[in-house]
Amino acid sequence: MGWLTTALILLPLGGALLVWVFPWDGFTAGSIALLVALGEVGIWIEALVRFHFDRGGLQLDQRTNWFSDLHVSYHVGMYGFSLWLVGLTVVVQAAAIIYAFWAGRTGARAYFGLMLLLTAAIVGVFTAQDLLLFYVFWEAMLLPLYVLIGVWGGPGRLGATIKFVIYTMAGSLLMLAAVIVLGLSQGTFDLTASWQSSSDWLFLGFVAAFAVKAPLFPLHAWLPDAYRESPPEVSAVLSGVVSKAAIYGFIRIAITKFPEPTKDFRTVILVLAAVGLIYGSLLAFRAPDVRGVIAYSSLAQIGLITFGVFAVNDLGLNGAVLQMVNHGLITASLFLLAGGIERRATTGEFSRLGGFARGRPILATVLMTTGIIGLAVPGSSAFAGEFEILAGVFTRGWGYSVVGAVAIVLAAMYMLRLISAVLHREPGPAVTPDALDLRPAELGAIVPLLACLLALSVWPAAITERSFTNDRARTDVSTQFEASP
Amino acid sequence: MIVAAWICLVAPLAAALLITLLGTRISRRAAAYVSTTSVLGAFAVAVFVFAKLLSEAPSARSHPSTAWEWLTAGSFHVGLRILVDPLSVFMMLIVTGVGFLIVAYSIGYMEGDEEERRYFAYMALFVFSMLLLVQAGNLVILLAGWGLVGLSSYLLIGFWHDRPAAVAAAKKAFIMNAVGDATMALAFFLLIQHKQTLNFPDAFAVGPGHGWLVNLVALGLLGGAVAKSAQLPLQTWLPDAMEGPTPVSALIHAATMVTAGVYLIVRTHAVFEQAPHVQELAAGLGAGTLLMAGLIALVQTDIKRVIAYSTMSQIGYMFVGAGVGAYANAEFHLLTHAFFKALLFLAAGLVIHALAGEQDIRKMGGVGRLMPVTRITFLIGSLALVGVPPFAGFFSKDPIIAATMTRGWYGYILFAAALIGTFLTGLYAFRLFLIVFPREPSPFVREHLMRGSHAAGMEGAHAPDHDHDAHEHSGEGPFSMTAPVLVLAVLSIIGGWIQWAPLWHPISNWLDPAAPPLAVPTDTQEALASLFAVLLGLAGIGVAWLIYGARQPTAPRITSRVPLWSRSLLEHKFYFDEAYDFAFYRPSVALAKALGRWIEGPIIGGSIRELVAGIRDAAVGTSRLQTGLVRSYALAIAASLAVITIVFVAVR
Repeated sequence: MGWLTTALILLPLGGALLVWVFPWDGFTAGSIALLVALGEVGIWIEALVRFHFDRGGLQLDQRTNWFSDLHVSYHVGMYGFSLWLVGLTVVVQAAAIIYAFWAGRTGARAYFGLMLLLTAAIVGVFTAQDLLLFYVFWEAMLLPLYVLIGVWGGPGRLGATIKFVIYTMAGSLLMLAAVIVLGLSQGTFDLTASWQSSSDWLFLGFVAAFAVKAPLFPLHAWLPDAYRESPPEVSAVLSGVVSKAAIYGFIRIAITKFPEPTKDFRTVILVLAAVGLIYGSLLAFRAPDVRGVIAYSSLAQIGLITFGVFAVNDLGLNGAVLQMVNHGLITASLFLLAGGIERRATTGEFSRLGGFARGRPILATVLMTTGIIGLAVPGSSAFAGEFEILAGVFTRGWGYSVVGAVAIVLAAMYMLRLISAVLHREPGPAVTPDALDLRPAELGAIVPLLACLLALSVWPAAITERSFTNDRARTDVSTQFEASP
Repeated sequence: MIVAAWICLVAPLAAALLITLLGTRISRRAAAYVSTTSVLGAFAVAVFVFAKLLSEAPSARSHPSTAWEWLTAGSFHVGLRILVDPLSVFMMLIVTGVGFLIVAYSIGYMEGDEEERRYFAYMALFVFSMLLLVQAGNLVILLAGWGLVGLSSYLLIGFWHDRPAAVAAAKKAFIMNAVGDATMALAFFLLIQHKQTLNFPDAFAVGPGHGWLVNLVALGLLGGAVAKSAQLPLQTWLPDAMEGPTPVSALIHAATMVTAGVYLIVRTHAVFEQAPHVQELAAGLGAGTLLMAGLIALVQTDIKRVIAYSTMSQIGYMFVGAGVGAYANAEFHLLTHAFFKALLFLAAGLVIHALAGEQDIRKMGGVGRLMPVTRITFLIGSLALVGVPPFAGFFSKDPIIAATMTRGWYGYILFAAALIGTFLTGLYAFRLFLIVFPREPSPFVREHLMRGSHAAGMEGAHAPDHDHDAHEHSGEGPFSMTAPVLVLAVLSIIGGWIQWAPLWHPISNWLDPAAPPLAVPTDTQEALASLFAVLLGLAGIGVAWLIYGARQPTAPRITSRVPLWSRSLLEHKFYFDEAYDFAFYRPSVALAKALGRWIEGPIIGGSIRELVAGIRDAAVGTSRLQTGLVRSYALAIAASLAVITIVFVAVR
């Protein structure tokens, strides 16, 4: 069954080559990309159906030797929680490609090829079970992003790209060093082999790369610019999916392979997450534009998810996985909506917006629903995720949960501010009466994301029951990732 | 029966979804009827559930039902669980029954508004959320309902979203309730860590020896209760919430949602009984609120705000009742309050509707001459509010006051506060009535009511194209509006006769198995409380009559004698808004600004600029190091080796 995982990686890769090699016109290139993206969703659903959640462990895996003398192999497969993250990836990528297709990006062949390459790389990161392979996919994920931001971004794209490159390069180099030292010293690069390391330095090497990419406070200098200057659908992918790759790294590598260093550095990381949570929420509350609010709220949410991961218990980890999916869907639809607003008003600045709700009921309903779920109103899937995370981190110290509770109130403040500033009051100077309601193509991109969120609100246990093996006595998550017999 | 309870819960949600998804394919009228029908259906089903439950033995009246596991993590799991028991059925009947009357009233009230569909979808969503709250079988589902009623309240307060005041009020209500949600969530985390379950009633058996724990849990729950019920110290959002349409104020901010805090305390009474000091605090906050709100109501000039402060004050009584352990009495007052307060709001809505959205009582006067039905119903509501026998409030409020006498010296403080409260109630209720209804119509009223028909009576009044003259109706509104008012007026008279403490007590018999009372006053205490309360209430009415009722109003002469500081204290609502602005809002804005200015810009953003510049400088510096002097190269190599050695030793 391992071919399913490989197909999830190869299909978009093949699609990218197809788009690049032949001289299609823009429309055809977009259509191919769209077909591939929808095909990915189809394959993922097939994988979902075939996955035995009750059995747990690594499934749909495939392994071929690569550099056998170094014990490097092409080894891919999925755990329960990776399956959900792959699902998030394919769904958000499909939405992003629909949006880009509709928005009509120039240089369509290059653009859509890069988007497909990005899809393949992210799926690779979530499925790779070999350290070197993981690193290859990790770098492959960053390269298309550099180009996508640098070429198709807004006026400040150059500065944004330079910041992004410097930060992520620094992180990646540290990770590369850690990967090589670790693989050579363990005698294998295979992640499913049952080895663990107690080296603080190697742990920090990985954590640095993940913390930059997530980003964790105070390593977020690249974030506001990158999220503001990218095309909206790239921002959606960047904050919705790529940041989750970093959190995935925390779960799959940092806490499972380095249990001792995790304990040593847990307090430091939890405190940084707490600072980031409050700091991001406060800056989101003062941000002058739509994307600024989404960007800083993402910083805050990453802090929250980090709480769940480094609580290292059932509640925290299950909540973290659920919240990764939630946040990916929420932030992606918010960025796409921000794109729609900017197209209509030519600006995202609150001082010039307002009154969008009158006469545009669909836009109002969609933005309101997304925003309300985004502020984790009780009963929503985001509430379910946050509730578990904060209940989980409570056992590591009640102070973290109190910080989380304060952040709940702050989230209500910044999200309602965003909603009101765009939708309510009299129309702002940049809002003309002839600005249209959401178009069918935009709905096609955003509504599926929203539908996933609503479905998860009805049944969040769909994810929390199926992320890690339901071993009621288990306390240490690392036992989940030992080689399956 | 369980199936019926689920149908009752889901019916309004289905209506809300239907209206949302159909969009403009459904006519405005049809949306209104779909919404109303769903609530009526829910009421019918609730009556059925009640009848079934009634036929069972009192000890067997508790039926949990789990639809599916909602949230899980290892050994922790929370089901989508409802609990049908006397308490939840009691609340279901109030929510759907009063809810139906008010939604039906909205059909006439909202007619002509451009966004009627949205309004009725929100109303149905609210009824669903409220039912989820009262039917919840564990604390997480309760919190879900709790949050969703807050959301519906936000949506409906801000319904007229091009008014900045409405948008601000909606945000304020949501954020203050989020504070309560947060403290409740923290209480739940404590319970999860300690009990691993949040199901009723297992979660409440914390057991002895955990005094601090149970106190913290009770405090967290109380935080949620005071936020939702607008009690001290989280009360400031409720008056502002009057920016919403009047039926919304009647349903959400009088009859149902704001009383959810009382329901929460009764539902979790086992926790509060293990934390008696926190329970006393609840009663104390209730007493403080009822006095403060009664005082502020004396100086308000907006008809809806007077009634809003009255609501806060009456919920204060319920908190006192729940706080001293007279749970059934608190719930009984919740029931009658739902009748007469909804009546007052809807009657006020008739006035506002007739006066084209005017809410300032200083412009009113003599409305009663032209709106006789409204006058008599408003009078009935006011008498029920003050607790004059044989109106409903008399039967439900006095037992609460009597129950305070069973609680020693602390009880007597509550007793005194509650009695002063009845005097204030008589005063502010009849101040309002006497200013608005009797006497000759004021010019403003004459202008609006003497014409055969009146201009679009919407508070929102943004439907200029709507031809209001098309449906000629009397000055008091169409039948769909007057009928619910009349029904509520009848209920405000006879609704209290269900239970008369010394003689018959079906409500106590019904609710006691779910929440056994801690305080059962003697007949003497009941009689004393009734005597004092009725006398003081009548005294309040009398004083109001002296000031506002005489031919030549003496009000200006009397109010001018009140010291200035106390008047401005009341007019500024005891400066709570100002204090919160100063203590929380401004510091957080200042902190956010400071972080943006001193941290985000120079340090976080600056670091990267420094880094880029640093790399360039380093490159220049490195080239300068190529001096060609072997001595300096050797020195550099030695230094590097030393550094590397130190690093390696440190790493190992």
